[in-house]
Amino acid sequence: MTTEARLDGAASTIGRPTPPLNAREKLTGRALYAADFKMPGMLHLKVLRSPHAHARIVSVDTAAARALPGVHAVLCGEDTPDRLTGVHRKQHRILATSKVRFVGEEVVAVAAIDEETARDALDLVRVAYEPLPLVRSMDEALRPGAAEVHENTGNLSIEYNVERGDVDAAFAGAALVHEATYETTPQYPGYLEPMATVAWVDGDGRLVVRTSTQSVFLQRNRYADALGLPVSAVRVIQATVGGAFGGKVVEECNSLICAWMAHRLGRPVSFVNSRLDDFLGARSSPAERITLRMGVDAEGHIIAKEVRILADCGAYEGLATHVLQVSLVRSDNMHRHLRNVRSNGRLAFTNHPPRGAVRGFGGPQAAFALNSHMTEMAQALGIDSVDFMKRNAVRAGDTSVHGFELGSAGLAECFDQVSEAIGWAAKRERPRDRGTKRRGIGFAGAIHVSGNREMGNWDGSIVTARVTADGRVTLSTGESDMGQGAYTMLAQCCASELGIPVSRVTVLPTDTDLSPYGHGSIASRVTILAGNAAIRAGRAIRGRLLALASEVLGVPEGDLTIAGGEIYATSTSPNRRLTFGELSRLHLYRHGGEELRVTATYDPPTFLAMSRPDQYGNVAPGYSFAAQAVEVEVDTETGQVEILATVVSDDCGRALNPLAVHGQTCGAAAMGIGWALYEEMKFEDCRLLNGNLADYTMPTAGSLPHIRSEIVESMEPNGPYGAKGASETAMLPGAAAIANAVHDAVGVRIRELPITPEKILAGLRARASADAAPGASHA
Amino acid sequence: MRDVDYLRPETVAEASALLAELGEGGRLIAGGTALLLALRQRMVAPTHLVSLARVGGLRGITYDPRDGLRIGALTTHSALARSAVVRAHYPVLADMAGRLADPQVRNQGTLGGNLCYADPTTDPPTCLAALDARLVLGSARGDRSLPVTEFLVDYFTTALHPDEILTGIRLPPPRFDLGHHARFHRTAAEHRPLINLTLLARRDGDTVAEARLVVGATTVVPTRVAAAEAFLAGRAVTAAVAREAADIVADAVEPLSDLRGTAAFRRDMLRVMARRSIERLMPPGMEGREVA
Repeated sequence: MTTEARLDGAASTIGRPTPPLNAREKLTGRALYAADFKMPGMLHLKVLRSPHAHARIVSVDTAAARALPGVHAVLCGEDTPDRLTGVHRKQHRILATSKVRFVGEEVVAVAAIDEETARDALDLVRVAYEPLPLVRSMDEALRPGAAEVHENTGNLSIEYNVERGDVDAAFAGAALVHEATYETTPQYPGYLEPMATVAWVDGDGRLVVRTSTQSVFLQRNRYADALGLPVSAVRVIQATVGGAFGGKVVEECNSLICAWMAHRLGRPVSFVNSRLDDFLGARSSPAERITLRMGVDAEGHIIAKEVRILADCGAYEGLATHVLQVSLVRSDNMHRHLRNVRSNGRLAFTNHPPRGAVRGFGGPQAAFALNSHMTEMAQALGIDSVDFMKRNAVRAGDTSVHGFELGSAGLAECFDQVSEAIGWAAKRERPRDRGTKRRGIGFAGAIHVSGNREMGNWDGSIVTARVTADGRVTLSTGESDMGQGAYTMLAQCCASELGIPVSRVTVLPTDTDLSPYGHGSIASRVTILAGNAAIRAGRAIRGRLLALASEVLGVPEGDLTIAGGEIYATSTSPNRRLTFGELSRLHLYRHGGEELRVTATYDPPTFLAMSRPDQYGNVAPGYSFAAQAVEVEVDTETGQVEILATVVSDDCGRALNPLAVHGQTCGAAAMGIGWALYEEMKFEDCRLLNGNLADYTMPTAGSLPHIRSEIVESMEPNGPYGAKGASETAMLPGAAAIANAVHDAVGVRIRELPITPEKILAGLRARASADAAPGASHA
Repeated sequence: MRDVDYLRPETVAEASALLAELGEGGRLIAGGTALLLALRQRMVAPTHLVSLARVGGLRGITYDPRDGLRIGALTTHSALARSAVVRAHYPVLADMAGRLADPQVRNQGTLGGNLCYADPTTDPPTCLAALDARLVLGSARGDRSLPVTEFLVDYFTTALHPDEILTGIRLPPPRFDLGHHARFHRTAAEHRPLINLTLLARRDGDTVAEARLVVGATTVVPTRVAAAEAFLAGRAVTAAVAREAADIVADAVEPLSDLRGTAAFRRDMLRVMARRSIERLMPPGMEGREVA
């Protein structure tokens, strides 16, 4: 017998703070991460990484390592499949052959009975290298005669050119033209859980990979491609993900090497990155040098924009090409009056570690440059910077310069919220600080996509829903929960349609054998795409249940009420109630044992702009916005910046779960603050010098201000209940808001991240000597 | 980390004999906060860990007005910070220990372990140097003692002989009535001080009768700045005096230059820190204070 608790009419949780479904298992330590899995006969994998940034591999001697007791296999590049892998350009082999291109590149893999033995074996491997000339920077890379990281590329990974309108005429007619160059630094994704994978070959010879991932299907396709297997011969299962931030899509190599080793050896293999492994192997965000030239008319409307970006791809091309494309053009879509744009973006191979996807995906780089630039322009125009940003903010109903159709746009409202919350009206009037410590306020705004049609001509999402024999609802999706609350959101959408509490919904972990296809959790796509699919699944289930109940009760569907996990006639015989469980069992019996199950899909009305040479078109069903205000205090003697207050406002369409939105917004803002003030990957001759969390200083609780998170609900017409992607946008504005606040406080404009005490002091000294010079006057 | 044998001697002599026997393969463990990280990264790879946990006589804090303070080497930073006698007679030491690193390290890490690890970028050596600490080193051969600045030799290097164990820290009775330990973190997210500075002073009315000023974290071994101490002696602190003393400190110290901070930046910050520490300890009279 199955039993069901009677439910009181469960109100929808949409818009109400809803704790994550998996909070309990995480808090009690019961969540199973990839590193937790142990299997009979399992081997432990470790890799030897290149100590050279660019060198020819002369010889690899593994004899001593192979002779070590407990060592099962010592393999090198020549042992890997000779097919090359990569997102677009296939140029990466599972282990390096013939030459290494960055410090940290995987050269030899050892599988042993335990991790310590594998480490011991690595110490016994002898690799002879012949150093090659280094490509130390993106400038050096593109200089004629430079050494090549990849032959016959000229070190140019990709070049984009976009031109719309009459740019030269627009500049000629502009009331003010401003040009400046900004530089950003790479950021390590900084998830708590370093990459980990366990892989094995099952009895039928199929490869099974359980890993920490944002996308099981993209990973499945990648492993199949790399190993020359049909996709049906590969199964990828998502383990609990301890944070990903773009670093666990398809660029990390931990899972690929582990999958290959398991396939090659026919034994279960576990590969758990140490933090150093992870620092050396992870893709950080590309460093970019962004030159902006922008023209405004007499009304303060941005009418012309020229963007030139040179970005550092590092040693291999992965998603950095997409990242650059985003940096190059996406922020143009924030300006409602802009029709004239010229952009050139170049991505250069260097011997730095490969760069790729990190939260914000090119947006943070662009937002730093753009908002710094706009603040300088507002100053030159004598306009309040918030007013200037609002005046140029796109609005619902606009079609932007690159063809984004904005069904909702709360950017101006975000600026209103943050300027109000920071007390801008009063504080802008206060006398300027003249003492050692000086306060200043800065603002910045940003745009992000919710979904992005760029892979094949499909950006849909599928949710499968089943009603179990005890009346629960089980959802399957191809999209991942990586801690951001995606599964809770799906449960809320479905539960809301069915009138049951979210606790009655189970969302299964993604598994390519069992889940419907999905591109995965990238581009802030899950809420708007899978959320819609979950609503459709809920409605379909509801329809099926009502039809069945109507038949059983002999009451027309229109006269039935569905509430609290039950269905009953509204007007007649209210005593007869059918539970979801009863209906589910009835369905089983009546349909030859087939459970009540629906599959719902949502493919948004968007356009594959990448298919057109000019890349024009509406790529996303919704666009999210954010703005941030920061009040800093700068110590003019030490150059130190303290954030006194910050407010981030996120236009997520509608906050389906305000608890999750606030959490994600605060996390994104913290990551933005870390990038701006604290984090810096330090390289010497392309070698990372601070690959540990003591020397690469991510923000700690003590180094962050109270982050006030606000929500703008712009009600996206395409969104599930009005929602669109939440909080990734909140990663974008922080750096510029801080730079603008520092400038407001002490008059020093920092155009190169990070904003360090040394740079601020240098700026203050430059100002002081300029002031002391004869005839000096303040700008 | 590799498997190790874990030994638990009960006396200093026994522990010393084990260390002598094990040679390079043996490593003492106290709180383990630094050692475990080094073990996991294989920066050290001993075959045996010799735990001090059961060795008697390495704990406790006692104070005597004539002999001063005795601190057992296994005293944790938080125990030091909480100690009533330390708070009463050496408040600068209690305050330093109470703000050291983070709560986990303060609760688990020991003062002796900190000193023996000899990481230059920590706070206790500087503060103890200013307080004229002597360290007691025991072995099966007997005891000897060294000033902390002689005990610390170089990066992660001490004057300990292979069979010696730091058993305790001795401080003479306090001579100063004012004290402050300042630490400079380059950014709020950095955990290790780029520079630290302990300033002690005995006051005679409005003037400084005697000062003690030690700079650490930015030199491999804490550096006492006698020239600044001499300059301050007999002077009332004014803004100008503080500034001049700070210049003396900044000029006297040869700062390290590394990934965490250049020598030039460290010297600039040392100047600011020194001036602020002096002004904090003995706020200049209003007439001497500059209006910035």
